Amino acid sequence: MKINVNGEERDLGAVDGGTPLLWVLRDQLNLTGTKYGCGRAQCGACTVHVNGEAVRSCSLAVRDAAGKQIVTIEAVSGRIADAVRAAWQRLDVAQCGYCQSGQIMTAIKLLASNRKPTDAAIDAAMDGSICRCGAYIRIRKAIHQAARALA
Amino acid sequence: MRHLLLGICASAGGLVAAAGVAVVLLAGEAASQGGSARETSLAAWERIATVLQHPRCVNCHHPDAPLVGDASRPHMPRVVRGRDSKGAPGMRCNNCHGEHSNNEASNVPGAADWKLPPRTMMWAKMSIGDICRSIKNPARNGGRSLQGLLKHAIEDSLIQWAWEPGGKRESVPMPQTVFTDFFEEWVRTGAHCPN
Repeated sequence: MKINVNGEERDLGAVDGGTPLLWVLRDQLNLTGTKYGCGRAQCGACTVHVNGEAVRSCSLAVRDAAGKQIVTIEAVSGRIADAVRAAWQRLDVAQCGYCQSGQIMTAIKLLASNRKPTDAAIDAAMDGSICRCGAYIRIRKAIHQAARALA
Repeated sequence: MRHLLLGICASAGGLVAAAGVAVVLLAGEAASQGGSARETSLAAWERIATVLQHPRCVNCHHPDAPLVGDASRPHMPRVVRGRDSKGAPGMRCNNCHGEHSNNEASNVPGAADWKLPPRTMMWAKMSIGDICRSIKNPARNGGRSLQGLLKHAIEDSLIQWAWEPGGKRESVPMPQTVFTDFFEEWVRTGAHCPN
């Protein structure tokens, strides 16, 4: 089985098609920036981009990822990604950092769809990304700051 | 031994269920010939309503956000309808719900075109009579005729899903063929609604 990750065709050999994409990324392809938080699509730590959508890789079987463009935190790029990264750095958003890969991938997708999100739109997009350190206030501030930078 | 007993019970249960259905449908035939087609229609609707009000169906037939599980709990993480009934930007239904099948690893159910039904197709907290009138109303049911409704009930991917929900979710207790039989009977006998 082959999948396209970060712009490269990767040959997975004889992998079980039902394996969650998360484990293929982490264990087989050594892309450990994407995290395991719950394995039940409840926390958002495993979020990657699949054809531009913010998908929870713990809930996507690798067979359903074939033929799609997968982008992980290691390689996400573009104007929006740059603005989000800059805001995250400027505001020192991360505390332990474990959730932040998922937070960032989701925030990038939010800003790609909605260039000036209100607090309600940020809630709707980000409520499913859990932060045990409680950095929510900085996450929200950083999204607003990135939106202003993109305006 | 236990397997044998279960097998016998299942067969017996199946025979009883089939006999029960046969009785109802035969009663329906007799009623529409001599007695009240309306009574048969209403009886069929009562049975149809047990499916529509089952968590596998009514959980999503809500105005703003779906409920989850046999206990109809709030959906965690929080999701909203969004402009196209497929979720808000950054939290689309498809971000977690697969497009092909239920995901046994994450226990997230999935089917083609996962989304909320239109707001006009709300059944939450409605009487079975109000649900009936809503379903018959083309302004609320996606412009469908009664035959169109039956076709929808047979073909729609999310309706199909209710019979194979995966995980520990209870599937609709009435077999799908029995459901469509009742639906046909309801339509045939005049599609009457209770008050």
